[in-house]
Amino acid sequence: MSLRFNRRSMLRGLLGGAGVGLGLPALDIFLDVNGKAWADGTKLPVRFGTYFWGLGLTDTPTGGTRWVPTKKGPGYEITPELASLAPVKDKVSVFSGFRAIGDGRPNVVHWSGHASILSGIAPAVTGSFDGPSFDTRIADAIGSSSRFKSIDISPSGKALSYSTRTGKSFSTPEITPVSLYERIYGEGFQDPNNPNWKPDPKVMLKQSILSAVTDQRQALMADVGTADKVKLDQYFTSVREMENQLELQLQKPEKCEACVVPGRPGEAKKSASIDVVNENNKAMAKLLAMAMACNQTRVFNCVHTPGASETYIAGDSKIYHQYTHDEPTDAKLGYQPMSSKLAGMVMQGFGDFLAEMDAVKEGDGTLLDNSLIMGFSDTGYAKIHSLENIPMLLAGGAGGRHKAGQHISSEGESVTRVSLTAQQIIGAPVGEFGTGAMKTSRPITEVMA
Amino acid sequence: MLRRETGDGQFCPGSEDLRRFRAFTCAGAASLALAGATLFAGGLGDPALAKTPKAKPPATVTTAVRRITESQYRHTIADIFGPDIKVNARFEPERRQDGLLAIGSTDLSVTTSGLEQYFALGGSISEQVMDPKSRDTQIGCKPADPGKPDAKCAREFISTVGQKLFRRPLTEGEISARLTTAERGATLAHDFYSGLQLSLTSLLLAPEFLFRTETAEPDPASPGQYRLDAYSKATRLSFLFWDTAPDAELLAAATSGDLQTPAGLNKQVARLAASPRLDDGVRAYFTDMLQFDQFESLNKDAATYPKFSQAVADSAREQTLKTLVDLLIDRKGDYRDIFTSNETFINRYLASIYKVPFASSQEWTRYTFPQSSERSGILTQVTFLSLFSHPGRSSPTRRGIKLHEIFTCQPTPDPPANVDFSKVQAIQNGTVRTRLIDHMTNEGCSICHQSSDPPGLTLEHFDGLGQLRTTENGLPIDVSADIDGVKFSGAQGLGKFMHDDPNVPACLVKQVYGYSIGRAAGYRDQSYIARETEAFAKSGYQVPALLTAMATSPEFFAVKIPAGVKVASQSDTPTSPTR
Repeated sequence: MSLRFNRRSMLRGLLGGAGVGLGLPALDIFLDVNGKAWADGTKLPVRFGTYFWGLGLTDTPTGGTRWVPTKKGPGYEITPELASLAPVKDKVSVFSGFRAIGDGRPNVVHWSGHASILSGIAPAVTGSFDGPSFDTRIADAIGSSSRFKSIDISPSGKALSYSTRTGKSFSTPEITPVSLYERIYGEGFQDPNNPNWKPDPKVMLKQSILSAVTDQRQALMADVGTADKVKLDQYFTSVREMENQLELQLQKPEKCEACVVPGRPGEAKKSASIDVVNENNKAMAKLLAMAMACNQTRVFNCVHTPGASETYIAGDSKIYHQYTHDEPTDAKLGYQPMSSKLAGMVMQGFGDFLAEMDAVKEGDGTLLDNSLIMGFSDTGYAKIHSLENIPMLLAGGAGGRHKAGQHISSEGESVTRVSLTAQQIIGAPVGEFGTGAMKTSRPITEVMA
Repeated sequence: MLRRETGDGQFCPGSEDLRRFRAFTCAGAASLALAGATLFAGGLGDPALAKTPKAKPPATVTTAVRRITESQYRHTIADIFGPDIKVNARFEPERRQDGLLAIGSTDLSVTTSGLEQYFALGGSISEQVMDPKSRDTQIGCKPADPGKPDAKCAREFISTVGQKLFRRPLTEGEISARLTTAERGATLAHDFYSGLQLSLTSLLLAPEFLFRTETAEPDPASPGQYRLDAYSKATRLSFLFWDTAPDAELLAAATSGDLQTPAGLNKQVARLAASPRLDDGVRAYFTDMLQFDQFESLNKDAATYPKFSQAVADSAREQTLKTLVDLLIDRKGDYRDIFTSNETFINRYLASIYKVPFASSQEWTRYTFPQSSERSGILTQVTFLSLFSHPGRSSPTRRGIKLHEIFTCQPTPDPPANVDFSKVQAIQNGTVRTRLIDHMTNEGCSICHQSSDPPGLTLEHFDGLGQLRTTENGLPIDVSADIDGVKFSGAQGLGKFMHDDPNVPACLVKQVYGYSIGRAAGYRDQSYIARETEAFAKSGYQVPALLTAMATSPEFFAVKIPAGVKVASQSDTPTSPTR
């Protein structure tokens, strides 16, 4: 890795790199989120999102990589499976060579990779994490002043989210553009630019509903065991967030210059075929981007396609997942042609997503410039369920805190370094992330401004 | 911050109230500010009384907190407010563990997005309940002045409906919290019903409704031991037999203590089992066991299977459930016959998939599959065949895995991550059998594929949607199998094979038990499962008999004190099942 010094890496270097990775800009409560930021146009809120796609990218053991750029550092070249990122290449950093480390735990196929990236812990079994996903920590840090603390979407139509506070209960995602639209712009939506804003008395009535619920908290928690307490804690956390949501609705929303309330989308097609998934993904990205511009949420999670992805090319009887496992490696090309083609199509979803965010002008730049999106997958080379070289990407300028447009190459370091980097760029109060061999307090300072 | 309840049921404000009070005044709602001020005046509680008194002795322990399922929610609402109430929401995803959502749901909570859904849904239900056209019947009393709060009528409604929703009588604290809400709302809106609507929404949003909390109490018969309290027992019974909250009679049996006596328990179980509502319980159980929740996200490629639609998926689900209810309840049939019976029901959509004429003027009609259809039993219905296939093709492996997992409780481990896939190559020609041969011979793959693929291959005369076919890529499909020396052929052969597999009834017993108690039956439950399986066999494998036998056995109500609970009357040792 190149030797680069800046204020942050200096600080870390001086202290021996041990547990001092606390993000300098810290929580957004220190930032000006009360509207003054909008007035002088210098400090727009920073948003964070995770974007997951299933089945990794192609990097065959014979050396036929289809995604890892040759050039390291800034100005990396666009590779075939990253082609969809070309228009926003300078706003995206590519991380190659990072791996999930099991520490003796089995490789839980199509699960260990993203569980490690999000929770920092190699999971014991499929379907649950052994800790919370870090997006919830970021949501706690930056999501309290928007109506929704975070929004989950799953354009493939499977009700799937990897965002969890307990490791067991995962968020409920919106699975169609219409349901996403209803959630954000339906009942309870307040146009921040409405000059005739008045508090809605209904909101106060709603508040009294919740107060009756919280009244009973103590009685309910009095004699429960540890596991049940976790569940009830999560429930009451949800109630608190709901209260916060209602409280915000009674305050005059700050004007958002970039906010243009979108029209209602049409009914989406329901299919796992890649063209339909990408179409829905794009429509949902558009709605979500505007939701962030309208300060309805600052955090999101998108599961484009699940781990063992069922997506396919319309009319083809074989799904992507099957191709990755049983398609022969073409001797001349050195890779699996159909799998690679599908990987590129799946990545088109990420390209589309970023393009929608980049299309929203905000301040001197775009919404993407004020956001950080971590793109990642469940696996490296899918044919062998590899946990090595899991593709990871950080997209967006994070309000100037991400030195984007670089290719960071690692020789098998833990994926949690990238996760930690994302958390620190966004300013979550996290100095260390992960357990066991994946424990790290070293963010990737090259990409941190 | 919590608000503390004082002895007389009024509240003194914590910071939460301050926050809310501020919000009210800043919004300029003068009347509400007044209401807030009144609340403040009520204040100054005695800290000694801070803990809300419960209607149960302090030695009780909460032994389980299980989120109710979507169908339990729906059934409960329909029971209390009638079938016309629309329940229109997307429920939080459930989680399958040890083969059942009922077991996985014990780990689940309500996330923020989930609570939003419950909040909106609760609001919509209570709005429908308070509809001026029907509210008099729904509420059962009338306020003295509809423009004002009415504590008497509100209390009556809250405690009656609350008891049905919480599956036990409400504590005074629970009632008075809702009375406060009702009063606040009625004052603000100058409408009694608006206030009551808010109270009802808060009941529908309450953790006491959304979670089944099971409570253990000291067992008077065995000092030092715990037993499930009567309301928790009533709830277990009711959800198993009817998939809904206990009805008035069952709650009364809990209140009177009858349910804690063998005679009282037998009487209630017999009543539950004899009711036509047993259909709901059996449907709910098999919906879970057969993994029908996966229909929500089932996709088929439109070019490959143009006949597939949501209507087909819904019909298929209904077909299997109708078949099961008919065989297992109406005809008191042998459970093992679900694999061999040709008796079923079809509608217009399914007739098209099964390629049979549909002449009935009814929506559904009874149908017997002829021998030539190659169909027999539920494995040959569209449900199993389409659910465990890919979007554009069948999958013998998935079908085989699901067959073992669902019906014989033998889950297949995940494929080894580091297996050498280099020899596993796609073959474009031939049938799927030739393509799978390699899995079955490849070391690392073989141990599982040798178990999953052979039964799956016998179903290959049915494509990914469940339509009959006999060739693939122009070649005849070989549907023969040799499993543990038993040779058979085709789906009908597989049905017979499953019918005779002793693991099948044992698995049902195990899963019904896990479904009821909310955890997988483990090593310590083995002898119980074996005894119940024997009794099941003696009954001629009748499912209602199985449910009755289990629900009247002490193990059904066994108590396990969860980790992290200090038990007042004894040390930390968990109690064994009460007998």
